[in-house]
Amino acid sequence: MALLEIKDLQVSFDTAAGRILALNGVSFSLERGEVLALLGESGSGKSVTAAAIMDLIPDPPGAINEGTIHFDGADILRLPQNERRDLCGSRIALIFQDALAALNPVYPVGWQIAEMFRIHGRTPEVGIDKAVLDLLTAVGIPDPIRRARQYPHEFSGGMRQRIMIAMAVALEPDIIIADEPTTALDVTIQAQIIDLLDRVRKRSDAGMIFITHDLGVVAELADRVAVMYAGRIVETADVFELFEDPRHPYSNGLLASQPRMDSEEAELLPIPGSAPNPAALPSGCAFRTRCPRSADICAKDVPALQSMGPGRQVACHFPVVSA
Amino acid sequence: MNKPLLKVENLSRHFGSAQAPVRAVENVSFEIARGETLGLVGESGCGKTSLVRTLLKLGPATSGRAFLDDVDITTASGKQLHALRRKMQVVFQDPYQSLNPRMRVDRLISEPWALHPDVLPKSRWRDETVNLLESVGLRAEHAERYPSEFSGGQRQRLGIARALALNPTLLVCDEPVSALDVSVQAQVVNLLAKLRSERNLAMLFVAHDLAVVRHVSDRVMVMYLGKIIETGPKDAIFNAPAHPYTQALLSAVPTPDPKLRGSRKRIVLQGDLPSPANPPSGCRFRTRCWKATSICAEQDPRLIERTAAPGLLTACHHAD
Ligand SMILES: Nc1ncnc2c1ncn2[C@@H]1O[C@H](COP(=O)(O)OP(=O)(O)OP(=O)(O)O)[C@@H](O)[C@H]1O
Ligand SMILES: Nc1ncnc2c1ncn2[C@@H]1O[C@H](COP(=O)(O)OP(=O)(O)OP(=O)(O)O)[C@@H](O)[C@H]1O
Ligand code: SF4
Ligand code: SF4
Ligand SMILES: [Mg+2]
Ligand SMILES: [Mg+2]
Repeated sequence: MALLEIKDLQVSFDTAAGRILALNGVSFSLERGEVLALLGESGSGKSVTAAAIMDLIPDPPGAINEGTIHFDGADILRLPQNERRDLCGSRIALIFQDALAALNPVYPVGWQIAEMFRIHGRTPEVGIDKAVLDLLTAVGIPDPIRRARQYPHEFSGGMRQRIMIAMAVALEPDIIIADEPTTALDVTIQAQIIDLLDRVRKRSDAGMIFITHDLGVVAELADRVAVMYAGRIVETADVFELFEDPRHPYSNGLLASQPRMDSEEAELLPIPGSAPNPAALPSGCAFRTRCPRSADICAKDVPALQSMGPGRQVACHFPVVSA
Repeated sequence: MNKPLLKVENLSRHFGSAQAPVRAVENVSFEIARGETLGLVGESGCGKTSLVRTLLKLGPATSGRAFLDDVDITTASGKQLHALRRKMQVVFQDPYQSLNPRMRVDRLISEPWALHPDVLPKSRWRDETVNLLESVGLRAEHAERYPSEFSGGQRQRLGIARALALNPTLLVCDEPVSALDVSVQAQVVNLLAKLRSERNLAMLFVAHDLAVVRHVSDRVMVMYLGKIIETGPKDAIFNAPAHPYTQALLSAVPTPDPKLRGSRKRIVLQGDLPSPANPPSGCRFRTRCWKATSICAEQDPRLIERTAAPGLLTACHHAD
């Protein structure tokens, strides 16, 4: 049985433009020790997926209308509130893109890491103070005794991200969800943070959901990839297969549109148009207004996510088949 | 004959008090030829935007000079500055903030002609607006809409159309695609490449994404903590960089090919960018450099060409 199993998740938001379906039947699973990349463009539902798992959907305007999220044998959407709260943070941890917004500006960072133990009523063998210093050392903060007493604004962006990671892994979670943890950082700092995440994850054999729109990061880190478009998963695949042989026209277009450091095409091949308005999605397949393969049926029937070989699922009436 | 379009000489831009200045740009010299694209890269906070803003005279230079076609930007004012602004246009990162939301597209695009009435008679504004919209891949009917009715990529096209209205010779782009969706970035990159060859535009192109920079640039300049530490033809920079920082920067870029995972040697830099208010003595990179020796703390390395790598200028005492 998978560590995490999400089935038919539907999340809506009531907005001024009407009700939008931020997630419209999302299903995927995560195994222990596995890194699953959630890839997709802005607004496709990546962060909402993370929020649904972490019980962070603001209600109202948001609501989980349908679906199940099984973790450790139980559907966590149906757990009593107190059990759900305890689970999030201790056994499933979230790392945000914007560490400055996620950290509390008025408490020293050491205090905030210690709070992870206190909230969840855990006392590590070595004691909380020592555990905090060990964590700061493990995430590469030099001079941890002094640094523990400093406030978030006294750290650089990369250091704050390290502190968030220290908080996230404090209770050795089974699942780490990282929502674009390096998007705001320089590539040199990004490289440090990705190395660090990989290290802390392996330490406790946690599964990781890594949300990003950077194909380079996916290629370096992921075992498996789920590609999202307009609130749905349109393709899941082993990372090697996805890059070798993308089947969904959106995945295919995304890979083809990237400039690469190691080749010099005269012209890039962009995907035409832009992401659809979530309040007025095209009928049938939401990608059809930008899709070179679209045909009549694409406007009528929503393509179901179907198996196409081991570990590979594609939601398309006319999947790309490599030559 | 081969006089550069833009010539920058020892330009500095400091912020704050003269006693404790933030040295955002320090003694920078470079040139851009007509029709040439110079890519500018470097860590966040290294001074790219400060340099761009000084060149556009959106802020004063602390010292040094910058000439566009022989006119000194740093001292220009009045009529001279007005004429300079016409030749030098800018596209910023945020397409949402750089366009006035209450202005209809036709007014947004023709506004520069109202400010520079000698460029185009009013009778031709309409036609030329449509031409510009079409040249950036939008349509005539878009002229009657407002910026809020456009997607991010379309807004960036509008920003580019507006920047082209005065037919500039130099287009400065500060992170023009960073705010865009990955699938849309390629549209804008292609558009800039097309306009550049059609109009013989010179560009100063600032970006974080090194693959994009490689794609659009003829030459590349790398900044670190306010200084240029390496510059040269893009192939030299990308294939055989001699400066340790450039080497680390390039090695950190993830390759979008899982088969190459682990096959490249990655140089992971220790620590963060030091504060530009209090830069290290000598070479500013020395606090993170694995090759640093005592001379690096004593002498600031000059940006020089070495016989081993013609065309490539490197500021390092121990360059490869
Ligand atoms: N609190 C909210 N109220 C209303 N709509 C919301 C809210 N949060 C998210 N949405 C909508 O849900 C959809 C999915 O958003 P989500 O944040 O998951 O996108 P994302 O894939 O994470 O994008 P990005 O790459 O920009 O972070 C979007 O259309 C978004 O506008
Ligand atoms: N108005 C200002 N007052 C004081 N300091 C400033 C000001 N503008 C920029 N700085 C400082 O100057 C340095 C260079 O900033 P700049 O914005 O030019 O960097 P950048 O290379 O454009 O970074 P990024 O990649 O994040 O856009 C930074 O240390 C910044 O904090
Ligand atoms: S279902 Fe049709 S429109 Fe959608 S991706 Fe497949 S071919 Fe394109
Ligand atoms: S001058 Fe010294 S410290 Fe600076 S980059 Fe070269 S070797 Fe490193
Ligand atoms: Mg998000
Ligand atoms: Mg900048």
